[in-house]
Amino acid sequence: MTLTKRHWRRARSRVLQVAITLFGLLLLTFFIGRVMPLDPVLAIVGPDADHATYQQVYHQLGFDKPLWVQFWIYLQGLLHGNLGLALLTGQPVINDILRVFPATVELATLAILLGTGLGVPLGVWAAARRNSVVDYLVRIISLAGYSTPIFWVGMIGLLLFYAHLGWVGGAGRVDFSLDGIVPRRTGLLLIDALLAGNLTVFNNALNHLILPASLLGFHSLAYISRMTRSFMLAQLSQEFILTARVKGLTEWQVIWQHAFRNILVQLLTVVALAYGSLLEGAVLIETVFSWPGFGSYLTGSLMLGDMNAVMGCVLVVGLIFVLLNLLSDLLYQVFDPRTKV
Amino acid sequence: MNISRYCRAWCATLLLLTGSPSLLAATPDDQLIVGMNMNNLLTLDPAAMTGNEVMGIVVNLYDGLVELDPRQLTHVRPALAERWEISADHRQLTFHLRDGVHFHSGHPLTSEDVIWSMRRVLHLNLAQASVWKSYGFSKDNVDQMITAPDAHTVVIQLPKPNDPQLVLYSLAALGSMVVLDSKTVQAHAVNNDWGNRWLTTHEAGSGPFSLDVWQAKDVLRMSRDANYWRGAARLTRVVFRHLQESQTLRLMMQKGDIDIASNMAIPDVQALRHDPDLTIDAVQKGTLYYLAMSMKDDHFANPQVREAVRYLVDYQGINKTLMAGYGTLHQRPIQSGMPETLPDPGYRLDVPRAKALLAAAGYPNGFDTTLRVLADQPFLNIAIAIQSTLMQAGIRAKIITGTGNQIYGAMRERQFNLLVGRGGSGVEPHPHSSLRSLVYNPNNADSARLTNFQGWRTGFYDAQLNKMIDQALLERDTQKQQQDYFAIQRRYDQLIPALMPISQMTDSVVVNNRVQDYVPHPSATTFLRDVWKTPDSLAGGAQ
Repeated sequence: MTLTKRHWRRARSRVLQVAITLFGLLLLTFFIGRVMPLDPVLAIVGPDADHATYQQVYHQLGFDKPLWVQFWIYLQGLLHGNLGLALLTGQPVINDILRVFPATVELATLAILLGTGLGVPLGVWAAARRNSVVDYLVRIISLAGYSTPIFWVGMIGLLLFYAHLGWVGGAGRVDFSLDGIVPRRTGLLLIDALLAGNLTVFNNALNHLILPASLLGFHSLAYISRMTRSFMLAQLSQEFILTARVKGLTEWQVIWQHAFRNILVQLLTVVALAYGSLLEGAVLIETVFSWPGFGSYLTGSLMLGDMNAVMGCVLVVGLIFVLLNLLSDLLYQVFDPRTKV
Repeated sequence: MNISRYCRAWCATLLLLTGSPSLLAATPDDQLIVGMNMNNLLTLDPAAMTGNEVMGIVVNLYDGLVELDPRQLTHVRPALAERWEISADHRQLTFHLRDGVHFHSGHPLTSEDVIWSMRRVLHLNLAQASVWKSYGFSKDNVDQMITAPDAHTVVIQLPKPNDPQLVLYSLAALGSMVVLDSKTVQAHAVNNDWGNRWLTTHEAGSGPFSLDVWQAKDVLRMSRDANYWRGAARLTRVVFRHLQESQTLRLMMQKGDIDIASNMAIPDVQALRHDPDLTIDAVQKGTLYYLAMSMKDDHFANPQVREAVRYLVDYQGINKTLMAGYGTLHQRPIQSGMPETLPDPGYRLDVPRAKALLAAAGYPNGFDTTLRVLADQPFLNIAIAIQSTLMQAGIRAKIITGTGNQIYGAMRERQFNLLVGRGGSGVEPHPHSSLRSLVYNPNNADSARLTNFQGWRTGFYDAQLNKMIDQALLERDTQKQQQDYFAIQRRYDQLIPALMPISQMTDSVVVNNRVQDYVPHPSATTFLRDVWKTPDSLAGGAQ
């Protein structure tokens, strides 16, 4: 009984924390958005519109109301599940986000799979052979992943693999002539193509996905391998590792069965956060590859001063991070007995 | 070493996943793929659209009463109206609609649809209402002024005297008066919005193509209407793709993955100039690059200072070195190539003369000021060039960059000193089109807020010039009218205007040689109905 009560209290305080965080985020975004020197009205009516038209649209958008009233109206809509209309598309923001999000999910998921699949072994390897050539190579790779501008790498990648070698498709999610051939069900083009049984579109979509996902994956690989390396180094200097070695276990067993198992939970948090930031918008890669995803949508809305869309996106990003944090907390509790106390 | 094994494995995986060369074939023979930056494409509603990109799409989804011949701009061709008459008093235009035209919905197109579409523009009062309001139409008088005596006749009465030829040009070139399927749109109207919200992403036209889907900043697809009244278009599908990065556009153009690229950065266009598979079409637009001065600023209110600035711009140098692909030297407010356009006055950089003028104006050591400019090319380069030549006479201009929104926003508020921008309508092949936008300023009071007139934005006002512009528009003798426009240009020049044209805009479109009968239109109303492509198998031999 007491346990349930404690859980209930903890859940309630957690929800409250989340609500306050999101409210603060919205408040900040709203007021920053309003003081930005961007005029969405002018974007709608065009630079040559007369004053009467400008005033009419200004009024329609409710900009003549005091700021706090505008914010209150927005919050009221939000409580009814209404994120407002986006200027960029004239559609409800929620519909827009649902439309663009799967493209980013597809890209980010493949990227994180590549980044984790390669980053973790590389990090472990580097730690196991500390200060060897391998370690230096991994550190150089991760430094390169951190410091090379992803926009530039994207352009070079396109130039080499698309224009020169012709191995991969160019910009967009699929060759333009195959656009819209597969009916949209999940929004994830690979899955939609499989559901429709259209292998041409599937192959083509994969072909378009591989380069941006590899480049993004390279970026997250840098972060993941670096973190893995430092977690592993911390573990490998522990006494129980020495004990295990003294007991005559193989190096493989020492590293993977003893040390690695202990960093698993920390790694999950790292991967979850890396995934979160990929979902938040691989803005530059989406721009270079004309990837119609969340990042492109968010930047487009920002440039236009379309605050309804920006606030909607901020809310989604906030929610993603809150959920990922929650998830990693839960995982800690499941895997690490010390946190249960 | 182990790492090389990993590298090999990774490369092999990549190859395995991607090595499918057949996927990189050229675009299909029956589809046109257009790559462009769709950042400015906010709505497909013909009454609310702004910018050139949407115009090129709308004119292929809808039909207008008349249209301009892209090869001979002053020639107005029949479209939905098979013929028309202009009354002897020049106050009434009567259009006779052709029979048997149907919308994509299957509804027949009648004169009721035409007048409903026109009423809609004025009642909505969005971007496209501006020109029609300047002709005297308003939502209060439009019901009386535009009428339909029968199902195939539309009568337009002009609320105030105007040149009916200009009105015809506006009907043909603006795209705002295309005809909408009133029944379909009304069925989707919400809260008396005349279907505005629905039309943002849908269409209700009778044009050669119907809209499949438009997703903002992603893709717009249209398919041909098999029952189009002129006969079905030759292409089955047109795909417009949003490609924000000009370099990506260039790569895809080179690879043959797209057929037409517009709004590409000029350095990328130049790089494609020698590709034997591609053609660069330079389309001369009516809009002008200019240096604007605010007459609300005491410095520039002084004509001697303005004249000094006139001699502090290296027009020839700017056009030669910075404007290749963007524009050509032009110093008159009316676009070049019209019978009414006077030759350029031949201004050039003359620092000693400018210094003398500044000294006479009381600024022997110059002064400090600001120069606003879009953070975009070629604007930024023009501004930097002007900054350096102004400096030679002691005018220290601090450059302030911003988005179109910020820069033109300041101009609309009349809160700037100097500004490098681009403007002027020039859409209709009539001198009045440019003069209305750049010179005309019927009321210079701050409270008038005539923000659509760049004359008002710069605070440049001359009652006689306004009168001359009004009179020239109404002059029926074409010889006399031409003389009147010459006189307007001379007076404008003598007054030392606040807005100095530097260059006339050209727009570069890169077209794959497989694309045939594509004629880019200066007013962006480019028709795709006659476009076709040579089959891929013949591509090597084409052209």
